[in-house]
Amino acid sequence: MTTEKKGSFRYISAVFLITFMAASAFAQISPGPLTTAHANLEGLSNCTKCHVLGKQVENFKCLACHTEIQDLINQNRGYHANPQVRSQNCASCHSEHHGRQFEIIHFDTKSFDHTLTGYPLKGKHATLQCRACHQTKFISSSEFEKRNGTYLGLSTSCSSCHEGPHQGTLGEDCASCHNENSFKPATKFKHDKTEFTLTGAHKKVECAKCHVSEVRNGKPFTQFAGVKFENCVPCHRDLHNGKFGEICEKCHTTVSFTLIEAKTFNHNLTDYPLIGMHADVSCRNCHGDNLNSRPKHALCTDCHKDAHHGDFTVNNVVENCADCHTVYGFKLTTFTIAMHDKGKFRLTGSHLAVPCESCHLSSNSWHFKNLGTQCIDCHKNVHGTELTEEFLPNDNCTSCHTTATWDKVAFDHNKTSFKLLGKHADVSCRSCHYRKNSAGVEVSVFRSLNPHCETCHRDIHFGQFAVQTKGGKFSECQNCHTFNNWSPTNFDHQKTKFPLTGAHAKLACIECHKEVTVNENTFIQYKLKDFRCAACHSS
Amino acid sequence: MSKRVHAIYVGSFFIVGILSTLLLVINGYQYYATPLVDRFFNPQNSLLEPSGLVGEGLGVVGSFMMIVGVVIYMIRKRVKAFLHFGYLKNWLELHIFLCTLGPVLVLFHTSFKFGGIVAVSFWSMTAVVLSGVVGRFLYVRIPKTIQGQILSVQELNDIGRDFSRRLQADHHVNDELIRMIETASDYTKLKKETLTNSLTFLVKDSFHMRKTLRAFGKELKSIGLSRHEIRRTKRIARSRMILARRIRLLNVMHRFFRHWHIVHLPFAIVMFVIMFIHIGVVFAFGYRWIF
Repeated sequence: MTTEKKGSFRYISAVFLITFMAASAFAQISPGPLTTAHANLEGLSNCTKCHVLGKQVENFKCLACHTEIQDLINQNRGYHANPQVRSQNCASCHSEHHGRQFEIIHFDTKSFDHTLTGYPLKGKHATLQCRACHQTKFISSSEFEKRNGTYLGLSTSCSSCHEGPHQGTLGEDCASCHNENSFKPATKFKHDKTEFTLTGAHKKVECAKCHVSEVRNGKPFTQFAGVKFENCVPCHRDLHNGKFGEICEKCHTTVSFTLIEAKTFNHNLTDYPLIGMHADVSCRNCHGDNLNSRPKHALCTDCHKDAHHGDFTVNNVVENCADCHTVYGFKLTTFTIAMHDKGKFRLTGSHLAVPCESCHLSSNSWHFKNLGTQCIDCHKNVHGTELTEEFLPNDNCTSCHTTATWDKVAFDHNKTSFKLLGKHADVSCRSCHYRKNSAGVEVSVFRSLNPHCETCHRDIHFGQFAVQTKGGKFSECQNCHTFNNWSPTNFDHQKTKFPLTGAHAKLACIECHKEVTVNENTFIQYKLKDFRCAACHSS
Repeated sequence: MSKRVHAIYVGSFFIVGILSTLLLVINGYQYYATPLVDRFFNPQNSLLEPSGLVGEGLGVVGSFMMIVGVVIYMIRKRVKAFLHFGYLKNWLELHIFLCTLGPVLVLFHTSFKFGGIVAVSFWSMTAVVLSGVVGRFLYVRIPKTIQGQILSVQELNDIGRDFSRRLQADHHVNDELIRMIETASDYTKLKKETLTNSLTFLVKDSFHMRKTLRAFGKELKSIGLSRHEIRRTKRIARSRMILARRIRLLNVMHRFFRHWHIVHLPFAIVMFVIMFIHIGVVFAFGYRWIF
């Protein structure tokens, strides 16, 4: 080796020496310092604590130390348990060898997808800073509690961060009622899901009306659980003072307190049981729009108009309607004949059968007062002026009639100047006292009835026996006839101008008194004017 | 290789080298400018980090280029069978290209993060590259044949005389002007052949040579030469002056070049040894790029 080559070799050796010394002194195989958290893993002997030969960095190596993450993965909780995250290599996020100050747990709070943690940030949560939740005081796990700045250890339970104003009375599932936008109102709460479904007017009632606020354990508290609702009484004042019991829904519905459930309301429990037709009357007819009103009901006239226009009003008070009426109908009356008889007008005879309205209803109006007790007050005097004051004193018909019937007249004809004798006693009144007037209408005649026989009987003698009287020319029938029959019982031929003697006395009447026709009237001529023999006897 | 082909040959190296570097800078500036502790979170990290697809690729390709650049040049230089395989100058240019662009790629492979044992390799590589630049500086100042054989002073003087003869015969430059050119570098004495003195001389001589050339050009113009003729004549005069300078610095350049080898080669060895260790470790831990 030449001197020059020896020198070169020395130079080369020196460079090598310096280089390797420097390398061993200041450098390692490591591509860079580890973070402070992993600083204890520095050094050649520690490489395989994280690295797997030929396989870079395997997750099991990381998780062998980071058991808390492994536990969370096993429990399928948190960000690292998300399949999208779990499938990744730990080092893809938590890289190393970037120096002590490297932020191995790096959160880009703006881009971090919190959904991957299994707890998507919604509503107000999405607007919060990370550390608003991720702070030690909210970590319940003692394992993570002591870790400064950790993002682990939070529970998804609302109560882990939020102090529940319900003081645990509503369980842990806050999300069943509240959303993340705001605590109030509890938009997800459905009262229908509770045991007390809100119906009718309850839907419009403010929560606080039923769920009272108080101070419990030194803090404001609103009671939601345990509100008594077995009946209405805990919330509603019993206006009926317990009279109808505690089952309000028998009568009321939740639509309105005043809207009574007619099908179930038992009015009979009230002071005024609904009986008869009252049972069918609409509530509003008595109560008006306010069914809670308490209408007067002591008197019928509190509701009903006095149909009798004061006929039964005494001292401004209508007498008890129930004396006559029942609740089963206005027209159905309990007023008896006996009760009627206690009045000024006793019902007798046919009056007993006469319907009330015949006397008491006029011009579509009932009248009970001052109707009068005289016949004429109801009945028309069909006799007009035919009856004299003697037989119709003060329009009192009872001289002749009774209430039994009009037809049967209890009149003593003998009190008149025309006594009923013989056959007349058997003749009906109508035969004599009813006549057709000039108009052809049958009218009664009494005073104007002429007492002469021809008034009623036809003169078959055609005036042969008529004599002139003050009232006219009438036959004097009684001279021959009686009232018993038409036989000329009273006739005595001997008292005539031609007494019968001799053979005449044996002759039949017709031998002398022949049938004649005068003025187209055929009759037997009794009154003979010519008594001469030749008048009868021919030669 | 003709001058034109050589120009394309070297030009393509230059263009590829510059473009590659520019591409890497432009593409990765935002990433590489990011502080180390934040770089992991850069969107380009997965590509450009040392173990990333591009980053590791740069390391692999850069290392490969350096290995190839060194190996082929050494084979050409040291293996007898290849002693006449192409001009050594061209192989050196390939060596310089591969061993310049390779380290550039490796530099971007490191993502400008220098730590660990591999940093020794990197800094060794840097030393090799820088020494290469120096070596190249020295190398061009040691005149050689086209085959790379170092010329003696005698041979250089012959070449110098040939230049003077061409100036005189071909370009009709008078003796006075030829003397001005030949003695241009003699204006000062290089008292002691130290590196500092030599470099100072180089700088001074450069200015002096320009000044002399300007005066030479004026003289040529005064004697009525055409502009084209003046340019050609000045080029020969310039070559003559450079040759004179090189003859003057020949000893010192030889000396420096000998010392330069002591630096360039060991650092290269250190670089490769640690680089292979680094590659071995990286592959052992499973970072195999695309393989």
